[in-house]
Amino acid sequence: MLNLVEITLKSILRDRVFHGIIFSALVFLLIPSVASLSMRQMTELSMNLSLSLLSFILLLLALFLGGTHLWKDIERRYTYSVLTLPISRSSYLVGKFLGIAIFIFAVACLLGLVAAGVVVFSSGIYPPERPIAWDNFVAAVVLDALKYILVVATAFLFSSVGTSFFLPVFGTICIFFVGSASQQVYDYITAPATTDISLFTKKAATVVYYLLPNYSAFDYKVNAVYGVPIAGSGLLLTLAYFAVYALIVVALAALLFEKREMN
Amino acid sequence: MKAIEISGLGKTYKGRKGTRIQALKGLSLDIMQGEVFGFLGPNGAGKSTTIKALMGLIRPTAGDALILGERITSCTARRNVGYLPENPSFYDYLTAEEYLTFVAKSFDVKGNLLEQRVAESLKLMELWEARKRPIRSYSKGMVQRVGLAQVLVHAPEVFILDEPMSGLDPLGRALVKEIILDLKKRGKCVFFSTHITDDVEKVCDRVGVIVSGQLQALDSVENILRSGLEGYCVQIRSGVKRLDVFDGFEVLRTHDPFVEYMVPAARFNEFMALVGHHSAEVMFVETRRKDLEAFFLEIVEKGEA
Ligand SMILES: Nc1ncnc2c1ncn2[C@@H]1O[C@H](COP(=O)(O)OP(=O)(O)OP(=O)(O)O)[C@@H](O)[C@H]1O
Ligand SMILES: [Mg+2]
Repeated sequence: MLNLVEITLKSILRDRVFHGIIFSALVFLLIPSVASLSMRQMTELSMNLSLSLLSFILLLLALFLGGTHLWKDIERRYTYSVLTLPISRSSYLVGKFLGIAIFIFAVACLLGLVAAGVVVFSSGIYPPERPIAWDNFVAAVVLDALKYILVVATAFLFSSVGTSFFLPVFGTICIFFVGSASQQVYDYITAPATTDISLFTKKAATVVYYLLPNYSAFDYKVNAVYGVPIAGSGLLLTLAYFAVYALIVVALAALLFEKREMN
Repeated sequence: MKAIEISGLGKTYKGRKGTRIQALKGLSLDIMQGEVFGFLGPNGAGKSTTIKALMGLIRPTAGDALILGERITSCTARRNVGYLPENPSFYDYLTAEEYLTFVAKSFDVKGNLLEQRVAESLKLMELWEARKRPIRSYSKGMVQRVGLAQVLVHAPEVFILDEPMSGLDPLGRALVKEIILDLKKRGKCVFFSTHITDDVEKVCDRVGVIVSGQLQALDSVENILRSGLEGYCVQIRSGVKRLDVFDGFEVLRTHDPFVEYMVPAARFNEFMALVGHHSAEVMFVETRRKDLEAFFLEIVEKGEA
């Protein structure tokens, strides 16, 4: 399996699309000049922009890697030569997933460092009113990485049954947007003030809420930008949620992939 | 010991709109360790289907098979198997050296042995010069050579090769035949599919002919060639004028003072006795037989009828 993780990482690093996406990280350099337009909250704004950009790059990577990696192996008939090695399909899939997860995490750390540099630079130009909450910043970056690893997991679930890249990529995008909004929708319809919604809709929304990944739970940007303290219990809950959800999705993907015909 | 045991293997593909293609119909076949087996059949006969089922790529819809006693549904059945897919393609962003290392590691080959095996198989398949280049830049025949190198690199007991000679130049084909004969010498089992009867004739112990998903013939190459024996072409120098003693035999060619006769196998001894009796001089004797190709064509025609 380690062997597969290694190969997966190599494939990512040698891919042109990845080079393009990383190239887009140069946009980080623009952030200080954009943030300087708002004189007062320059540090907050550049942290906000940096974290958003980091998040966006990770989203692109997650969609691109999660959505096309398995499909490409099947499409280019690499599976004939790889799945006939004495490894089970599950370990193949898990190995690929781990490779991409490690990669996403590493890129998040790297871009996190770049973002921190941008923030430090901005705060040097216009010192902030309150000290920068670096611990919250780290938490925001790490949880963002976990969020996109979860996106990769859902993309793998789609890839394990899909015969083109269409289903994995667009399915994952849909799930991503619905999953990012599901908390708000759920909060709205379950609020006591909401009365004009049928019981069925409520039930349906609740099912969707529990079934789909709740991506908004991973959003700690506000805490990082405005130094709002993070509750340890909430953080732990999110980590546990990530672990359980990712495990279930990857296991399901492996199960479906195990049954798949390669022809 | 049986290396591959196929019993009642069947595969029905479900096409679009509920069409069904019965690609394999109850195939049963045992292949021994140390045997080189040629799996012969026309296009679309079901050779690749059989092989993909053996390698766990597709699930058979009937029957079962064992490789070295392990059921093919488990990945442990492939622990000692080298597989070459038809028209193979390998991770093309890797170099041949990296790819072979990856494969060898997957088979738990380690350390010095790994390096040694990788170098050996690269050299054997004449990829040594190109080993540091990504496979993306290889020609078709070079990719096929990578395919052969990656089965040799982990030195398995059983080789399952889907058209190993396809895409190779004459030198490559000769090399593959040599390698197969060498594997046989070392007691390995080689199961390969092909359409080329000549390849089978040169290297195989046994041959199976599959037509429309059914095994139509299964015999040793020796038996087939012997049963196809038509007779001998004998050239003699007729020192004697009494050529008419050979009158009962068909004359193939005369080229004074040489005459070539077609001698049916059953009358060979009789002919030679005459030769001895009349002190004619035998220049050469050539076997005349139907080759494997004729045998193959006959079976395919019968099978398709
Ligand atoms: N994925 C598939 N879906 C439907 N039918 C298939 C599929 N794969 C193969 N077949 C059919 O199964 C039959 C056997 O195909 P197979 O690939 O096993 O032939 P083959 O003997 O390897 O031929 P060739 O010599 O051309 O490689 C063919 O009729 C083919 O059309
Ligand atoms: Mg074939």
